[in-house]
Amino acid sequence: MTQERFIELVRGEQESLRRFLLALCEGDSSLADDIAQDALVRAYVASGSFLGLSKFSTWLFRIAYNCYLDHLRKPRFETLPTDAPQMLSVPSADETDARFRYQKLYQALNMLQEKEKAVIVLFYFEDRSIKEIASILQMPSGTVKYHLSTARNHLKSILQ
Amino acid sequence: MKNDNIESFLRNNKPQVEDNPTFLLEVRQKINAVDGIKSEVDRQRRTGRVALVAALVIGLLMGIFAMFIVWLYPVTTPEVGSELISKIQSAIESYKQYLLLPIAGCAIFLGLIFGREERRVF
Repeated sequence: MTQERFIELVRGEQESLRRFLLALCEGDSSLADDIAQDALVRAYVASGSFLGLSKFSTWLFRIAYNCYLDHLRKPRFETLPTDAPQMLSVPSADETDARFRYQKLYQALNMLQEKEKAVIVLFYFEDRSIKEIASILQMPSGTVKYHLSTARNHLKSILQ
Repeated sequence: MKNDNIESFLRNNKPQVEDNPTFLLEVRQKINAVDGIKSEVDRQRRTGRVALVAALVIGLLMGIFAMFIVWLYPVTTPEVGSELISKIQSAIESYKQYLLLPIAGCAIFLGLIFGREERRVF
């Protein structure tokens, strides 16, 4: 796959991908964008192995979710570079507003298990089918339905 | 809260992403860097293969040359330890079929190593 073709395909998916990761990262847009970029680079490197057996977006979301899981596995305390004060960014006013607006939602999502959170985000925010979610999260459809049901029950008790 | 209420709460609170005009530019820059690394790795791999083939050809030619010299100018050496040498020769003669197996194995192993396709990340 050429670079131009890849960028063209990504252009149509970037908003959806960034929203998926934004919800998983509890509203931290800079972290979500970093993971999204990491996922896109990985996808480009592996684009030769994309056989078209699933939709491009499903394949891309699967890589992005794996990148997100890799991020979770990383140790939390990393040494900051010496020029850290310059690199620390203050969230913009829009970002702060957005975080405040969705605070209740992110708090509720934060209390779910990772798989439940991913299932909820993909089903309700990205309007993905159970089959697509199963392909993205690499689990059987029945397990997706189970996680969806338990996630709804958990959210019900959290939001009461 | 009922299931319907949760569903409507989730659907009504779909997070909106901020417009980030530099996002794709940054991705493109990173991809360009990856392309640079890939082309450098490919170049090094090609150079390695050419060096390997050159070494094989030079080795083969030198071997042929050496055999040619030996054939042209045979040297008679004093028979030192001829009994031991003849024993080794007869051992090789009787077990040559078993000696061929590891040699063939090595050849197949080397062929697989140098002939394999590049490893996929995904």
